[in-house]
Amino acid sequence: MPGVHEFSIAEALATQVLTYAPAEARLRGVEIRVGPLRGLDSEALAMAWEAVTFGTSMAGAVLQVEQLPWSITCSDCGREWTSPVPFVSCICGNQTPSPVGTDELDLLAVTVDETTDEDET
Amino acid sequence: MAEQTRTVRVPIVERVLEANDDIAAVTRAELARRGIFSIDLIGAPGSGKTALLEATLQRLAGRGSGAAPRRRPAVLVGDLATRRDGDRLARWCERVVQISTGEGCHLEAGQVRDALRGVELEGVDLLFIENVGNLICPVGFDLGQNVKVGLFSLTEGDDKAAKHPYLVTAADLILLNKIDLAPYLNFNRDGFEADVRLLNPTVPILEVSATTGAGMDAWLEWIDRGVTGPRN
Repeated sequence: MPGVHEFSIAEALATQVLTYAPAEARLRGVEIRVGPLRGLDSEALAMAWEAVTFGTSMAGAVLQVEQLPWSITCSDCGREWTSPVPFVSCICGNQTPSPVGTDELDLLAVTVDETTDEDET
Repeated sequence: MAEQTRTVRVPIVERVLEANDDIAAVTRAELARRGIFSIDLIGAPGSGKTALLEATLQRLAGRGSGAAPRRRPAVLVGDLATRRDGDRLARWCERVVQISTGEGCHLEAGQVRDALRGVELEGVDLLFIENVGNLICPVGFDLGQNVKVGLFSLTEGDDKAAKHPYLVTAADLILLNKIDLAPYLNFNRDGFEADVRLLNPTVPILEVSATTGAGMDAWLEWIDRGVTGPRN
């Protein structure tokens, strides 16, 4: 069942974001960074986020997901590059370059609308 | 008096699962203080997690005055809704706690911490945590364990490792279960191992059969080394 995984992450994220967004501010956006090992789907995450925040003070805030790529190293020719998928061939013919992935799952920033009352304009 | 609205970006940079990881760190310290070696067993539904633990606990329970050291294991079993797994394991181990996760697809550190409060840990030197049947979600949630064991089985197909790089990369040991079925299945063991090696060049791979007992000695030796050796 796709999305269950993303749902639990979205729930953890919502709890965390609430601690950062001041009550008087309206949350507009949330930025996260995801390493390739996490296997998180951006679209599924966005849907889960929408579901989790529905009817809350965070409703309508846009989740922005930065997906980090795999680092691929070819042991035959030494070429290094990045790829969204781990198993790729090298242009030198090597069918099995080494994929190295990271497992970041970081809240990078929140964007809020702050309404301020000013006595002087 | 005028109301003004301005949009502000607040940089944070914090792990999303920090709350979980903090609890896990406390659990890890507590288990270390008690000298308990803990294993998070992760595998797909039907890969044989409970059968493997049954066979493991049965062998540990059968250790007498021979050369093999006696162990005092405890087991936490995560399952969606039933108590069946826990009941199976309780035949071989006095200290079994079932964690019903409801709809949760993985165990979280808080559930493990709470479950451990219900176990008499005095004298225990080995803790098995059977995670919820799932190859993806459980990997990212630290429970406070010492090691993760990734359990695959011949009936799942030989591409499971390649399709679940997080588990393979994070695992301290890969177990390939149901090895007794090898003559009946087109499971490419070399291909499976090559995929594992590409993602995790140093992880040990052990072939076992919880049903016939093949490879169980090597698995138990690996556990014994974990209990007596240095911990992470």
